[in-house]
Amino acid sequence: MQEIIIGIGVTALAGALAAVAGAAEDTESNIGSQGDPNSQVQLAPQMGYTHRIYNKAVSGEPPAYTLWVTLACGVAWAFLMMGMNAILAIVLGTVLATIVQGVYATTAYLGRTASLSKFGQPVFTDVLKSVTTVTMGHAFVAIFTTVVICYLLATVIGHPFSLPLLGIVWGLALGAAGSATGNPYYGKERQYQNQKFGAGVPISASGNIVRYAEAGQRSSIDNGFFTAKFGGPASGLCFGLIVFFELWRTVLFEHYLAGWGAVIAGAVIIIIFMVIDRYVEKWARENYGPYTEA
Amino acid sequence: MSAIAAKAGADAGAFQPVPSIIALVLAIIVIAVGFVLGVGQTLCLIVLGAALIAFGVHFVPVGGAPAAMGQAPGIATGVPMLAAGAGLAGLFGGAWAAELGLAVALAGGAIGGALMMAITCLMVNMSYVFGMGIPPASGKIEKDPLTGYTQPEFKSQGTEGHGLPFISYVGGVIGGLLGGLGGTLIYLELLAFYEAVMPAADAVGLAGILAVAMFLVIAVLAAYNITGTIEGPHDPKFKRFPRAIIAAILASGLCGLLALLLVALV
Repeated sequence: MQEIIIGIGVTALAGALAAVAGAAEDTESNIGSQGDPNSQVQLAPQMGYTHRIYNKAVSGEPPAYTLWVTLACGVAWAFLMMGMNAILAIVLGTVLATIVQGVYATTAYLGRTASLSKFGQPVFTDVLKSVTTVTMGHAFVAIFTTVVICYLLATVIGHPFSLPLLGIVWGLALGAAGSATGNPYYGKERQYQNQKFGAGVPISASGNIVRYAEAGQRSSIDNGFFTAKFGGPASGLCFGLIVFFELWRTVLFEHYLAGWGAVIAGAVIIIIFMVIDRYVEKWARENYGPYTEA
Repeated sequence: MSAIAAKAGADAGAFQPVPSIIALVLAIIVIAVGFVLGVGQTLCLIVLGAALIAFGVHFVPVGGAPAAMGQAPGIATGVPMLAAGAGLAGLFGGAWAAELGLAVALAGGAIGGALMMAITCLMVNMSYVFGMGIPPASGKIEKDPLTGYTQPEFKSQGTEGHGLPFISYVGGVIGGLLGGLGGTLIYLELLAFYEAVMPAADAVGLAGILAVAMFLVIAVLAAYNITGTIEGPHDPKFKRFPRAIIAAILASGLCGLLALLLVALV
């Protein structure tokens, strides 16, 4: 019984940490412009629209976060094996991973932006100085919380995978959840704020991203400020729900029916989410109506 | 023949019998070598797991960069990354349930992958509908075969569609299910093989990292077959899956053989 109660506590804590991780991950990737919408940031100067948006998409979010979280987990694990205090070990691992993230961000911004010089796109050193540290701060939060989840799974819950292996699994899942949920909000809603609300961006408008703010040119930090109101929390909710339900169904129901309890509970949760999705689609069609008559 | 000289309008996804037969013959040779070395049965199950992953990846609705601007339906990220995210979440669940027996662990892995996709796909639609006021619409079909909803009138002007119509949502869940199942099968086979010759903790680590690696190999192969974006099982590109399965059989046969020989020959 005590084991189950501790398991429920860890499940709740891991779910909450995952929600923070998802929100920080999405905000970091939007400020740094790392996800798929960055294709437009790269395209804009080629269409004649030079800008001051950060540009660090050397890879998609999932492999990037796999690297950073696994790196942090690996370093933390090495320190733990040396007998270091767990919190200190995780913090040190996260600091190292964040420094690597900062190096990647810097070289990516310089490399990608310099490659656009033939289209008249300048490299802004003040953008590099002001935005890089902000992405690093958000990355620290996302990496730290994910490593803590992995640590709880490895030590308290007793998952057979070691800390670095859990880092690969949950780092990739964090990036996948954050980019899937948060990317459209940054890409469609923020970069193309000049397009109609409630419709996709016409392909003919590609590259014509919003480059000006209320005063002066738009900064990437403003993009994070904007997406933190919806895309970030939605990504946090997505990753939080994934971690929470994955643990919850196992911790509570694995003891029933020789392990099949957790499988059945998972199947029931999936069906509930399917019903909710079906309702959301129905609601959207009924309330927004068609764009044109068929 | 260079890419420039290639026949214009040729279907890049068409089934090509000659390369497929060559790949199958090579795969049979690799598996035969496995049997000669005494690892044939485990290798066959690893290959089966890889085939499940390759098939499952084709179900996952992936829109890539166009989906991030609401220009195409699907999830706004890359094919291999999303499939790997779901598959590894399944692997996490399957590995956790490994001591409860093969059937429970496989089912646990499949449900883990499907659960990850069910939540992700729901949040994608939530984001489109409540964050951007855009209803889901497919660009590839006139009518959703599951709901009967007509699609063209809900597609905004100048786009290929957006969001996840219900058929794409179900495809995502099935993709996660098959990915989690295949990944867990590979992990369990490797684990059982390694546990016989090394301490359990080392066996878990080695089986885990090689299962993850093999998952990524197969997911990337399948992504090359898909070339960019796919809406799900209703997308014409879905019919390309036999080619990916053949490639996965060969690639996993070779990778699996090397993974098993790591300890078999020591």
